[in-house]
Amino acid sequence: MRDPAERAGITGMAAVSVLGRGAQAQLAGGLGGAAGFAPVRRFDVDRRRVRVAATLPDAGSLGDELAGVVREACEQAGLTPARRAATPLLLAVHGHPAAGRMSEKDSSVPTAAGFAAELATSTGLGGVAGVYTCACVSGSSAVADAAALMRLGQADRVVVAAGYLVEPDQFALFDAGRALATDGAARPFSAGRGGLLLGDAVSAVVLEAGARDPRAEVVGWGRAGDGYHTVRPDPGGAGLARAITAALRRAGVLPAEVGYVNANASGAEGDAAEAAALHRALGAAAATVPVSSTKSVHGHGLEGSGLLELIVTALAIQAGKLPVNAGYLGGDPACALDVIVGAPREAASPYALSLNAAFGGANTALLVRAAA
Amino acid sequence: MTTAELPVLAEVEWPRGTEPPAVPGFVVSSFSPLVAELARRCLTERHGGAPAPAEVGARTGVLLVTASGDAQSAAHVAYAVDTGARVGPLLFFQSVPNSVAGHVATRWGLGGPVLCVSPVGPDGEARATGLARARLLIDDGDADEVLVVCVEQAVEQAAEQAAEQAAGQQTGDGPTGSAFLVSRGESR
Repeated sequence: MRDPAERAGITGMAAVSVLGRGAQAQLAGGLGGAAGFAPVRRFDVDRRRVRVAATLPDAGSLGDELAGVVREACEQAGLTPARRAATPLLLAVHGHPAAGRMSEKDSSVPTAAGFAAELATSTGLGGVAGVYTCACVSGSSAVADAAALMRLGQADRVVVAAGYLVEPDQFALFDAGRALATDGAARPFSAGRGGLLLGDAVSAVVLEAGARDPRAEVVGWGRAGDGYHTVRPDPGGAGLARAITAALRRAGVLPAEVGYVNANASGAEGDAAEAAALHRALGAAAATVPVSSTKSVHGHGLEGSGLLELIVTALAIQAGKLPVNAGYLGGDPACALDVIVGAPREAASPYALSLNAAFGGANTALLVRAAA
Repeated sequence: MTTAELPVLAEVEWPRGTEPPAVPGFVVSSFSPLVAELARRCLTERHGGAPAPAEVGARTGVLLVTASGDAQSAAHVAYAVDTGARVGPLLFFQSVPNSVAGHVATRWGLGGPVLCVSPVGPDGEARATGLARARLLIDDGDADEVLVVCVEQAVEQAAEQAAEQAAGQQTGDGPTGSAFLVSRGESR
């Protein structure tokens, strides 16, 4: 077991979303509070009920965008080619981008692990240590595992990458499931919210155990399941609350010390379950901790969401400024939280939670601390 | 990553070439039904029947290991999108492997972590990946027991299968799979 002081330090981070290219663009977009939803031009949406998403107009392929953020994060962390070659990749994706469209003519099976191996090779990393295909907790689960490996002394440095670019198949599925908002905006925790909207989310971080000068640290993490329903969250928030409690316990941080929550809330009915989880886990502090969901500006990046949101959260708590919850029309009694609306807030604590939840009742909580 | 043996409390193999029973709410593909059936057989070996005892179930995780994922559903959706056919709403709910993992967790009262991963490592062996990830969850303290379900679908002809399914034809070889339940045991 490693010395608790040697936490998983974030020494490099890079991201791409509708908010722009580069990690700082994500923070600027979150603080600006202008939602990036617009009509989809990337593929045909004529047959869809909803036709908007948060897409970056000049986005390349998922493989190219992932390679770009991995290289940028590694450069930021100052990793030499030799160090890169000794650093494994943990990747969070839905699957191989070609999955579902191969034919008898194709010579190899397009798997997520194969896609990860190609990414590791093209970016000079030392192989693949994990591939996460667990929907909207994929990126955050990868970070939790990375932090766990470091705590247990089984890894010194890893690169975690996660990516989703809005594409026709998932768009069609979310549209068919009537999960998308019909009024052009995602409104987390708000009265009158009508669903989520999809968005591009491609990002990478370098995590190093006991880094001397990290940009932020992952000091706590937790994962727990609802055991309640195939796809709907437990309205009582029990699973997510256990994930939050586990993250705080690992860090030795009290609920009242948490200065910001970047919530999983997407603008769907299930946002109320997250509010219940926060009250369950944080007690009285749940009513006063500033909360926002940056999905309100960059959309829901599915497998890419957890890592992008961790980056926004880490940069925000480091800058001491907390992102706005866009699209908010007014309070919902079922979501009795201190939601950040209108303008960014000043951070009162160096600790922030980034929460994620997914189909299957999967929940994760990541606790980050701003670098001293 | 440590791969030392964990106590295996139950283990089942799927007989190759057979189809699992259907599960209400899951359509088109044998992937989710096979996960559910493997989980049922494995957990029945451990607990006798659903649900698991509350104190054990609360700290039991569900870990799905698959390289192919639900290839039949993915091909079905891709075919529908490419041909302008209707995409049924039930497909949304099975669009990620988490859903059937949640189905298992709900039926058996499991409150540990829910994870879906691809096999990695030199030989890409699902059992080794499952053991390593389960061990990490247990050693890290988020679970005392982990149900590991490994399932693969033949994907070589998934697109053709989708077209055949659309034409009402029976398709494809059966899926393959196994499941095992590992425990913290006395190893900590």
